Amino acid sequence: MARIELEQVAKSWGDVVAVEPTDLVIEDGEFVAILGPSGCGKSTTLFMLAGIYAPTGGEIRFDGHLVNRVEARDRNVGIVFQSYALYPHMTVAKNIRFPLKFKGVPADEAARRVSEAARLVHVEELLDRLPAEMSGGQQQRVALARALVKEPQLLLLDEPLSNLDATLRLTMRAEIRRLQRRLGVTTILVTHDQIEATTMADRVVCMSKGRIEQIGTADDLYQRPNKLFVASFIGAPPINLLDGRAERGTVRVGELTLPASGIEGAVVLGIRPEHLGLSAPGHGLAGRILTVEPLGRETLYEVATPLGSLRVLEAGSERRWREGDASGVTVPDEALLIFDKASERRLETASLALAEAA
Amino acid sequence: MSVTLPSLQRARPAPLRAQADWDALAKAGNRRRAIGQGLLMAFLVTVSVPILLPYFWMFTISVSARTGGVDSAVLWRSIGILVPAVLALGFLNLLTDRGMRRLYGAAGIVLIAGTALAWAIGPDLHLQNWAFLRDANFVENLSGRGAGTVEAQFPSVWTAFGNSLLLAGVQTFLVLSVATLAGYYLSRFNFQGRASFLQALLILHAFPAMTLIIPIFLLMHWTGLLDTLTGVILVIATLELPFAVFIMKGFFDAVPWDIEMQAIVDGASRRQAFAQVVFPQVKVGLLAVGVFSFIRGWEEYVFVRTLLFDKQNWTMSLYIFWVSEDIMGVDYGVVAAVGVFYVVPSILLYVFCQKYLVQMSLGGIKG
Ligand SMILES: Nc1ncnc2c1ncn2[C@@H]1O[C@H](COP(=O)(O)OP(=O)(O)O)[C@@H](O)[C@H]1O
Ligand SMILES: [Mg+2]
Repeated sequence: MARIELEQVAKSWGDVVAVEPTDLVIEDGEFVAILGPSGCGKSTTLFMLAGIYAPTGGEIRFDGHLVNRVEARDRNVGIVFQSYALYPHMTVAKNIRFPLKFKGVPADEAARRVSEAARLVHVEELLDRLPAEMSGGQQQRVALARALVKEPQLLLLDEPLSNLDATLRLTMRAEIRRLQRRLGVTTILVTHDQIEATTMADRVVCMSKGRIEQIGTADDLYQRPNKLFVASFIGAPPINLLDGRAERGTVRVGELTLPASGIEGAVVLGIRPEHLGLSAPGHGLAGRILTVEPLGRETLYEVATPLGSLRVLEAGSERRWREGDASGVTVPDEALLIFDKASERRLETASLALAEAA
Repeated sequence: MSVTLPSLQRARPAPLRAQADWDALAKAGNRRRAIGQGLLMAFLVTVSVPILLPYFWMFTISVSARTGGVDSAVLWRSIGILVPAVLALGFLNLLTDRGMRRLYGAAGIVLIAGTALAWAIGPDLHLQNWAFLRDANFVENLSGRGAGTVEAQFPSVWTAFGNSLLLAGVQTFLVLSVATLAGYYLSRFNFQGRASFLQALLILHAFPAMTLIIPIFLLMHWTGLLDTLTGVILVIATLELPFAVFIMKGFFDAVPWDIEMQAIVDGASRRQAFAQVVFPQVKVGLLAVGVFSFIRGWEEYVFVRTLLFDKQNWTMSLYIFWVSEDIMGVDYGVVAAVGVFYVVPSILLYVFCQKYLVQMSLGGIKG
């Protein structure tokens, strides 16, 4: 197990900057998720940790030791690729055993560890199969067993669940989480799925365009996003964003005026769908229901208002409005997020205290 | 159908007529499938006739022709028996799908056709044309012909056979080793001039090798490789390489980076990752390039004709050329026999490898 430090680590290919200079510390035994849209440099970061890519700048340390120049094969890192990358010509047993070949593990010990790893991920019955003869979920488990069999000090998972169907994803999410707890191996999960990141990891690193935007727990990212990007990327259904102006102690967005002292200039107002409410016409903003999406325990409405179309999430499965109905949209002045339009940073205001983690 | 219907009926009582319709539909389906298959068979047979006929003719000549005449009677008689036999086998397959009946039917047809053949062409068959396998001086030993032949003018056919085997085999080995390494390097590494190198490969392949024959002759002369198998092997391997490298690069391109990276993270060196993980994925490609390379070496004529003189260096293509030359175009039987002897290895190679070569288009890497 290891404590991982990145100091000003960067990677570029010619003019293409994949990862800007990045600082990150991952504690021994921690489970960290790197979350961000496709192409933001998550995999590149992971591959630099594995030793597949050499960073173009900065230092990577495992337990305080500089590993920039240490080859991938000597880093004792386990990795699971998005494609699982099972060796197509080897049986499951041979696949799992492969990493032990290069470690000089005696045959009986290797056999024992292979069956142990297979048991850990429940693929004992599949040991004689070829990868092409297995389902995606089974391949995934085998890839996991192969990553774990050498008892790595760092486990890297690159979008491991993105090729699985929804039910299987749920199972594997819990299973990987449980395995990680049990083995205590430092783990980094790369994903573009926020639910995956927030449910599995202790801490989430939110990335965009090669930069880390924010590091924190799921609650931190949801309730106290530092940047406009984090606010818009985290949360499903996504947050409503409205352009406005702050002046003389208020924020004005169209006809809406909210108290907000201590800020000036162009701002972006962020309102989560669940903080908006629907009421009888005449209350709040005048609205007209555009679409109704039943989500099971909640219902998502898209409402046309003078400020633009807003997403409103109502709890409960009973639906009081139908498409085309006129309604009012009530806006609270709590739980609003205000971002500076130019820097996209969140602004702290005196009167708009954010709902702290309740 | 007949198994599932009763239970279906129990679950949801359907009128009897519906059941009858289902059976009729199933029968119609079967009939249509049988007709489709029959038509397909007929088409394939028709298409393969022009391809197979010359080979078959060559074979019948080699076992039946006698001095002087080229005689197609044996060919027509055997075709007259074999074609109905093949058609009968086809019909048999359509008429019944029960294993035992098919087997007996087939055995019957084969027996009848065999008897008919023995009666119709049996007396014409002989092995005299195959004497060249034993006797290097067979030409002058054939009574009443080969007037222009001097003692020991021909090497043993086995010398030529061995030379051809050596030429094709070593050539294939060279092409495969260089093409594999070069293809891997071109597929995986970026270096200056990579794009122009790839273009050059294609241009080289498009270049007619024949135009190079004089420079190559001089090159061989100056390097002292003229009239050696080594020289010819080097020339043919060189001419084969550009395309082989290109094909192998394509096969390596199809191997995902992931598994190679995975192997390296798993503790393999780059070389071990190549040998144990990447290489096994391109085996089919290797086989394809190998087979074509071998055939190319086996059938080579132009360069061996130009660069080899000594009869101990003859390959099969030269041997068959000199045999036909020497017999002055009269004894087709011997030429046909040598021809059959010459094509058999190619055919065997295809037969053994076709199972894997066919996989090529279907296979690839799943996972
Ligand atoms: N081998 C490479 N050569 C050039 N550019 C690359 C390479 N690998 C990744 N990139 C670029 O780096 C950026 C980040 O890629 P990646 O880390 O794979 O993103 P993701 O977050 O989707 O995993 C992308 O813009 C991609 O085009
Ligand atoms: Mg990626």
